[in-house]
Amino acid sequence: MTAQHPPAQRARRRARIAVATGVSALLALTACTAAEPEKASDVSFELTDATPAPSGELDSFTWSSYSEPYSLDYAYAFDYADNQVLANVCEPLLRLNADYTLTPALAESFAHPTPTSWVYTIRDGVKFHDGTVLTPADVVASFNRHLDPAVGSSWYSVFQNVVSIEQTGDRDVTVTTSIPDSQFNLAMGGSAGVVESAASLESIGADYGNSTGGVNCTGPFSLTEWKSGESITLTRFDDYWDKDLMAKSAEVEFIFMGDPNARVNSWKSGEVDGGWMVPLDAIAQLRGSSVGDVYFGMNTAVNDLIVSDTDGPLADPNVRKALLMAIDRKGLISAAYQGIGTTTDALTTESVWVDASKAALDTAFGGLEEYPYDLDAAKKLIDEAGVAGEEIVVATAPLGTDFSVIAQTTVAAAQAIGLKARIETFTPSSYTTLFSDPSAREGIDLFYTVWYLSSPDPLEMYGVLRTGEFSNYGNWSNPEYDAIVNEAVAIEDPAARSEKTAEAQLIANDQLPWLPLSESPVTLFMGKRITGVAPSINFLYYPWAATIGAS
Amino acid sequence: MTTLRRVLGKLGALLLTLFLASLLVFFSRFLVPGDPLRFLLRGRKPSPEAIAEVSAQYGLDLPPWQQYINWITGVLHGDFGRSLQYRQDVSTVIGERIPVTLGLVIIAGTIIAIVGLISGTIAALNKGRVLDRGILIGLTVLGAIPSFVGAIVLIAVFAVQLGWFPSFGSGEGFIDGIYHLILPSTALALVFVVLVGKVTRSSMVDQLGREHVEVATSRGLKRGTVIRRHVFRNAIGPILTVSGLLVAGLLVASSIVESAFGLAGMGSLLVQSVDRLDFPVVQAIVLLIVTAFVSVNAVIDICEPLIDPRAAAGADAR
Repeated sequence: MTAQHPPAQRARRRARIAVATGVSALLALTACTAAEPEKASDVSFELTDATPAPSGELDSFTWSSYSEPYSLDYAYAFDYADNQVLANVCEPLLRLNADYTLTPALAESFAHPTPTSWVYTIRDGVKFHDGTVLTPADVVASFNRHLDPAVGSSWYSVFQNVVSIEQTGDRDVTVTTSIPDSQFNLAMGGSAGVVESAASLESIGADYGNSTGGVNCTGPFSLTEWKSGESITLTRFDDYWDKDLMAKSAEVEFIFMGDPNARVNSWKSGEVDGGWMVPLDAIAQLRGSSVGDVYFGMNTAVNDLIVSDTDGPLADPNVRKALLMAIDRKGLISAAYQGIGTTTDALTTESVWVDASKAALDTAFGGLEEYPYDLDAAKKLIDEAGVAGEEIVVATAPLGTDFSVIAQTTVAAAQAIGLKARIETFTPSSYTTLFSDPSAREGIDLFYTVWYLSSPDPLEMYGVLRTGEFSNYGNWSNPEYDAIVNEAVAIEDPAARSEKTAEAQLIANDQLPWLPLSESPVTLFMGKRITGVAPSINFLYYPWAATIGAS
Repeated sequence: MTTLRRVLGKLGALLLTLFLASLLVFFSRFLVPGDPLRFLLRGRKPSPEAIAEVSAQYGLDLPPWQQYINWITGVLHGDFGRSLQYRQDVSTVIGERIPVTLGLVIIAGTIIAIVGLISGTIAALNKGRVLDRGILIGLTVLGAIPSFVGAIVLIAVFAVQLGWFPSFGSGEGFIDGIYHLILPSTALALVFVVLVGKVTRSSMVDQLGREHVEVATSRGLKRGTVIRRHVFRNAIGPILTVSGLLVAGLLVASSIVESAFGLAGMGSLLVQSVDRLDFPVVQAIVLLIVTAFVSVNAVIDICEPLIDPRAAAGADAR
């Protein structure tokens, strides 16, 4: 499925970690730096879906990334840092657009002839960066790596139901699954669907995708230099197949800057032209300056508190409801995100309900139970549940302002309604083990995450909460819910599927296996010199740098 | 003969220290919470076969002592294993970063030596006067500025405001490389200048008051000659000892400066690798720093008698 954990930064230590986990993403963590939000002055924001069209071409532009990619091997590209570069170099079968629709890319078309097979017709005349021509054999070789235990692909879960990947025609590749799996095809617009040259995979071997081995793909830019620890330079690929997306800049340089202050300084001094994920406390000063502008774009992330123990005091859904009602979420957005966000009661954003029917949307969002800030009602629920005086533990780590604010707010909220509560502080890297190691979650009741979806289907989120799923961190189990989600996975028609998914959303909204807090937009800074990108979280999978030109 | 024995003794102690350090460096990772394999798989849903395969690839399925033998054998052959975060040979990862850190340490060391020696010498020669006090206060103020504060101020003034220097990166080629490293080296040098300056001053003051200096002066030797031959040469011992400590200090402190200036050096790599549980990289860097530190000090130990023959004979002979 999808998702990642993005990196996060310690406010002061400047050390960064990339926290990758199951299906999630700690989104704008990077954004949150040292500033204590005692006097939160909320930043006003408005979503934009495009920036002004470029007036011409560029020789080059520079872009900052909060971290160096772990790898440009698509099998391991599972994080903001990896994917924002990879998306411009390597391409998947389908293309995930800024509005989260999927359109053909390396596959010029696809078919679903039986419930358990997907047939992709590979586009003719596509060239790899070394000049060789894309063939179905490259698709077969690329995809089989996800199934190879020796590779240990990060995207294994997308392929977990896959039985075989075979060339079935001159230009056709057929993927057969053991059960009807609507989600497989939806993931083909992400890194799981990337196609690399089979010959290069073979010849580069173990160094494939690292700074020594590099990659050989079909994207609008090719990887020309990777200065380990410092920068990656991409060069326009003149033989790129899609003339509409020919890169407008001859070169792009990605500069790795872990320190949020360093990133902001490099923008202010004009040394770097832009970057995703703007440190939130810098937004006001960047907007006030003449160096460029900050944009807010479509996101698929929800900021959640994961209930990681459904046997403890939070076993009773009413206690979870009480806790959510005791959290002043509007105040939380001010304090934790400088006001950049909105409250939500759902675990998905409307932006991922791309092909949903109107009825499904009405059910999914119109029918939501709301949990407004109401201490009295919350106390009443706690008394009825008879858990007053019991203790919950909230995990946190020095990963950013939002982490500390949310942990403290949650503890205060719990105490206000008669629970005992304490914070347990983890180091950044041990915090990531909460997402991967069940033993690390022992004794922890709640932990915070920013969870984004990589495919245009809310079912990606709800698949995670089925009984026994890897990222169902609290082992929450609801047979009715499982049945609904499993039924939905098998439904091919997106509209019909969305109606089933809406039912799952209502159950999650009623039972609160995770507590939804808020949604935040994607943030983007662009200096005066450049323009042309559509701010959207699809920057992880779409060749967005190709659209940037001179302003 | 005694010199040779002394040198061999030092080398023996050096090797023993390195061996013990290697044990400490390797086994300490088993004390750190967190499973490297979990980190390698980065929290995704792996198949059990993948877990087994990947542990075997990185030798994580072997008992710790076996892992140590494999590791130390590799290290002796220049192979530090494979980085978990970069999926690359550790020697490649570190090799790419050594030039930046070395450049940083060399330029910072030069700044420290020049500023520290000159200011310490001037202060000593003007002991008790306004100039002496001025220099002492100045050094103390500089020494009180932590590297990260120095870095922030230097970037704000010289990179963002004035635009004279770049605020990040290590540049292309030699000249540009030095240009890029001036601000970071300065930030790094600040704390250490005070140390060298003060040690130089007190060591020189100590020598200036010695009988043989007074004798030399009373014999009518020129002041410059006295200072060069009798004061400075005798004062150099403590300064060298402090400089040995500085090397390790600079290597460790470089992490903060490297992060602030976006430099890909060993310091920032170490911090990152600790956070990411990339233990092969952490082990290699720590071992390199220990080796550098121990070796520099052994070299100073061995060289000191060559500069000041009395050191070889022992303090009693004074």
